[in-house]
Amino acid sequence: MGLASTLFLRALTLATVLILVVFFIVIILGATGTSDKILQAMVNEEVMMLRQSLAKTIKDPQELERVIDVRRQELMEFYGLTKPWYVRLPDMAWRVLTLDLGKARTLKTFTGGNKVSDIVMERLTNTIILVTSATIISALIGLVLGVRIATKVGGILDRISSYMSAISYAIPTWWIGIILIMVFSFLLRLFPFGGLYSTPPPSDPYLRFLDMLWHSVLPVTTLVVASVGVWVYTTRTIVLNIAQEDFVNAARARGLPEELVRRRYIMRVAAPPILTNVILGLATSISGAILTETVFNWPGLGRLFYDAVLVMDEVVVIALTYIFTLVYIVARFLLEVLYIILDPRVRY
Amino acid sequence: MPVRFNETLQEFWRLKVSKVGVAFLTILVFLSIYVVTSYPLDFGVRYWNNPAYWADYPKSAPPSWVNYFSDQKLPEHYVLVYDKPSDIMSTESGRTLLYIFRLDFQADKPPTFISFTLENLTYYSDPPTARLNVKRPDGKDIKLYEYIAPAPYAGESPPYMRFYDIPKRISITGDMSVASALARFLLREYNVSIRPSEVNSIGQHTIVFSVPGPNKEFYVLKGEYIFTISIDTYDPRDNIGKVKLVIGGNVYGFMGTDSLGRDLSIGLLFGFPIALFIGIVTSTITTLLGAGLGIVGGYVGGKVDEVIQRVADFVNNIPLLPLLIFLAFILGQNIWILVFLLVAFGWPTLTIIVRSMVLQLKSSQFIEAAISLGASRLWIMFRHIFPQVAPFVFAQLIFFTPTFILLEAALSFLGLGDPTIPTWGQILEYGFRSGGIYVGLWWWIIPPGLLIIWTAITFVLIALGMEPVVNPRLRRMK
Amino acid sequence: MALLEINQLKLYYKTLRGIVKAVDNVSFDVEAGEAIGIVGESGCGKTSMANAIIKMLPSNVALYQGRIILDRINIVDLPEDEVRRKIRWRYISIVFQGAMNVLNPVIKVGYQIAEPLIIHAGMDKEEAYKIVKEKMRLVGLHEEVFDRYPHELSGGMKQRVVIAMALVMNPKIIILDEPTSALDVSIQAQIMNLLKKLKRDLNISMIFITHDIALSSDISDKIAVMYAGQIVEIGSAEQVLLSPKHPYTQKLLRATPRLTGEEKPEFIPGTPPDLVNPPNGCRFHPRCSYVMDICRELEPKIFEPEENQKVMCWLYGDKK
Repeated sequence: MGLASTLFLRALTLATVLILVVFFIVIILGATGTSDKILQAMVNEEVMMLRQSLAKTIKDPQELERVIDVRRQELMEFYGLTKPWYVRLPDMAWRVLTLDLGKARTLKTFTGGNKVSDIVMERLTNTIILVTSATIISALIGLVLGVRIATKVGGILDRISSYMSAISYAIPTWWIGIILIMVFSFLLRLFPFGGLYSTPPPSDPYLRFLDMLWHSVLPVTTLVVASVGVWVYTTRTIVLNIAQEDFVNAARARGLPEELVRRRYIMRVAAPPILTNVILGLATSISGAILTETVFNWPGLGRLFYDAVLVMDEVVVIALTYIFTLVYIVARFLLEVLYIILDPRVRY
Repeated sequence: MPVRFNETLQEFWRLKVSKVGVAFLTILVFLSIYVVTSYPLDFGVRYWNNPAYWADYPKSAPPSWVNYFSDQKLPEHYVLVYDKPSDIMSTESGRTLLYIFRLDFQADKPPTFISFTLENLTYYSDPPTARLNVKRPDGKDIKLYEYIAPAPYAGESPPYMRFYDIPKRISITGDMSVASALARFLLREYNVSIRPSEVNSIGQHTIVFSVPGPNKEFYVLKGEYIFTISIDTYDPRDNIGKVKLVIGGNVYGFMGTDSLGRDLSIGLLFGFPIALFIGIVTSTITTLLGAGLGIVGGYVGGKVDEVIQRVADFVNNIPLLPLLIFLAFILGQNIWILVFLLVAFGWPTLTIIVRSMVLQLKSSQFIEAAISLGASRLWIMFRHIFPQVAPFVFAQLIFFTPTFILLEAALSFLGLGDPTIPTWGQILEYGFRSGGIYVGLWWWIIPPGLLIIWTAITFVLIALGMEPVVNPRLRRMK
Repeated sequence: MALLEINQLKLYYKTLRGIVKAVDNVSFDVEAGEAIGIVGESGCGKTSMANAIIKMLPSNVALYQGRIILDRINIVDLPEDEVRRKIRWRYISIVFQGAMNVLNPVIKVGYQIAEPLIIHAGMDKEEAYKIVKEKMRLVGLHEEVFDRYPHELSGGMKQRVVIAMALVMNPKIIILDEPTSALDVSIQAQIMNLLKKLKRDLNISMIFITHDIALSSDISDKIAVMYAGQIVEIGSAEQVLLSPKHPYTQKLLRATPRLTGEEKPEFIPGTPPDLVNPPNGCRFHPRCSYVMDICRELEPKIFEPEENQKVMCWLYGDKK
């Protein structure tokens, strides 16, 4: 079965990449001594808790120290700190894979907890909301404009769009965000400076939703402005190339109405290459998300990355590197599934 | 080959984008050369990141030309320096050196600080005393500050040298004794009762330059101010090298200052050679590595090719920025590590394309001819194959440069740049982190971005101009 | 009255270099059940003529006039919408050059063949599919091809699909533009046999366009030789092949290699004419061995040296 085997192979390849990346992360951590630091911190954390609970029962300070030392030694053995880092590789790799990385050094969840996995997971949705809406809007604008321009090649719109596309390549996404804040938040006071909700957020769920929407306007605009030029240009080019294909002409010769030709013979055939461009732009979307969230203080994974780097919270940095890779790989796989569904030529 | 090169050069020059691009590039190169030859190479560490160096600069000040556009004149920044006294008075105990600073103040807002600095003091008997006085346009005199130089230490013999290594900077602003003196002045001259702590919050500099209103507001007093620093010395050999008075302004320079008082025009200038360096060096290494691996893989084939392909595939399958952030974070913030990382992530795209080009070339006849002549593989790869892919590779080099410049800017913005080197991304990072965008410090935020864009566009234009050269199908038919 | 009468058809394009007279005053008739072969070099205007017949005009048309009479309607004057709904595929269908790329790559082949039925005739899928499968059998395709995608088929199979597609609405005329030039010789033979069979069984008319006069002779009842946008000779297959009148036709035939005999094939000297600035007078005169003074000045009239064999050449000037 062509479809299933193609998908399976692809899933396998991507999973391998993920695992290799995790190993790569772990090796770097080991070789630079960072994993030692982290595990040591986890040991110290446990010892401290032990000390607090034991202090209530064991009154003799020497006895207390002895018990704690024993436990500490046990813990160091358990976490593998007594052995060199490369022996710990598989264990560390598993830890990263399952986000079992203990507590963050200084960062906290929205509710005050500090387990790394919690901190990371609660922000995942925010990032997904931002990126998905920006992508959909860019795609819609890109497709509509791209198709329109493709039918009027060489016109003014065409020239403008290719210049804009070239320029938008040179403009840093995050700088657009900064400028938007200066103009629309500082100067014109139309939109908030950042964040997800106003403080305090409205209690009514409907108003809360609108509040979030209002806060999302500038960040989404930033992402859209940065990528729409490319969308329009690539759509236009792809549609143009396909419109000149023989089978389009043949379809007209068969007396098929122009509307149908446009839909089924141009757009439907253009869908796979356009999708390819989306896949290629996926890494850029992730970078864009990280930078835009930082600028707008949007509480997603991107902003978390910036905060973690700022306060040197290694564990969170590691967790995020992994999560981003995971998100990238999953998104890529889903898109490739879509591609295989759309284009029968790649199935084997 | 020379003929072809000439022809391609002509083809390139024909387009308007190429001309504009090359013009921009020339400007960038000239500015970079100027910076590299006029500034020390450790400028970053020694001056830029050294807050003491910028102590006498106004903080977060817009450029001085904004005064042309607003009716409210903001005060300029005045730095008045003397290395010889304006006058010397003889007294019974010695000489008094007088340094007289005249200032015609016409701004609509008071200055932002007042400070004076003494440098290179040598004395032989009793330590000199320095006093700061101001005579205001309304005729009123204020004794602002009195300072006695440090006495000789145990075991020290004359001449006593002070403030040679580190100049003595005395800030009038924030000084409580000055605040008390001003409070007394206000009560005496204007019958305004105000506590020294209030003087301190309003700012000693403000009070000096204004007239009080009935409700403890202060209105700027315009006119000529005469500041006198008098130094009483007790030995005719006593000497002071430099006396500086700074009346802090609210505007400064060509591009303004940041919140540390750093002159942004210098910081921005320094960014030019850095940006070019990062962009071109990284791009060159990446291109050579990527093309090299592509040629070797494509031509040699077999296991070598497999390995190269797998690695390239793997790198292509990982998201760039998160891994870059991770590695920069763990491995450290150093410009060379950055270059290394960018190269490590950049080579696969080129390798894959070059490899497929080489695969096509491999079966062409002139290669077969070369093989039959007994040429070695290395020879063929470099003398026959490389020249064929060279135009494309060169175009990619140009095209990659803005990418790397932008990537470095992004990483710097996130705080992962090399802190010893001022780049535009770093200037923006600091501006963002200190909240500059929320208070509208546009001169800090807009220029670095524009410069990044301008540099990137320069290379994009040149790359666009090279496209027909590289892609003969796009050449115009004669 | 003939099934299709083409009279003084002109199709000119606007290009950067000037006006291309791709089809310049072409006239011929097609009877029911008859195959007419249009033979000529590349660039002589054959494909333009095919497009002109079904009014598939490009955007840079300079002139399109003449009469294409089908069932007492002049296609030239018919509005685009009506041509699309009434003429194309119902009356005239076309098999394009290069079957490699005339099928939509992402839609199953069976559906593509059925599409005109569903759209034009308003049939529902069941009916349409039945007819499609019937046509597929007719062209010798196995039923399972129905669910395949174009890239899964060989060149020959794709060509059969395209032919099945052309037949699906039982048109009266099929135009075939170089239907075999992209195929292997062995497949070529198969397709030609198929076409001959179809012509016989369905009594369908064909306009068979090719540069290969030998191929044309395999199936055509009439042959028209096209040069520089004009038909320079037309007659029955025997007439044109066995007693060619126009010097160009003669040269074409002599350029064909023969299985028997000692003669080597000849080539035609010179280059194909520029359709923007064709030569004065007779367009073939720069390459003609029999050129006379009048050929350089005046465009030849149409003469009829034998019954039903017409030729555009001053050599036959006194035979009318």
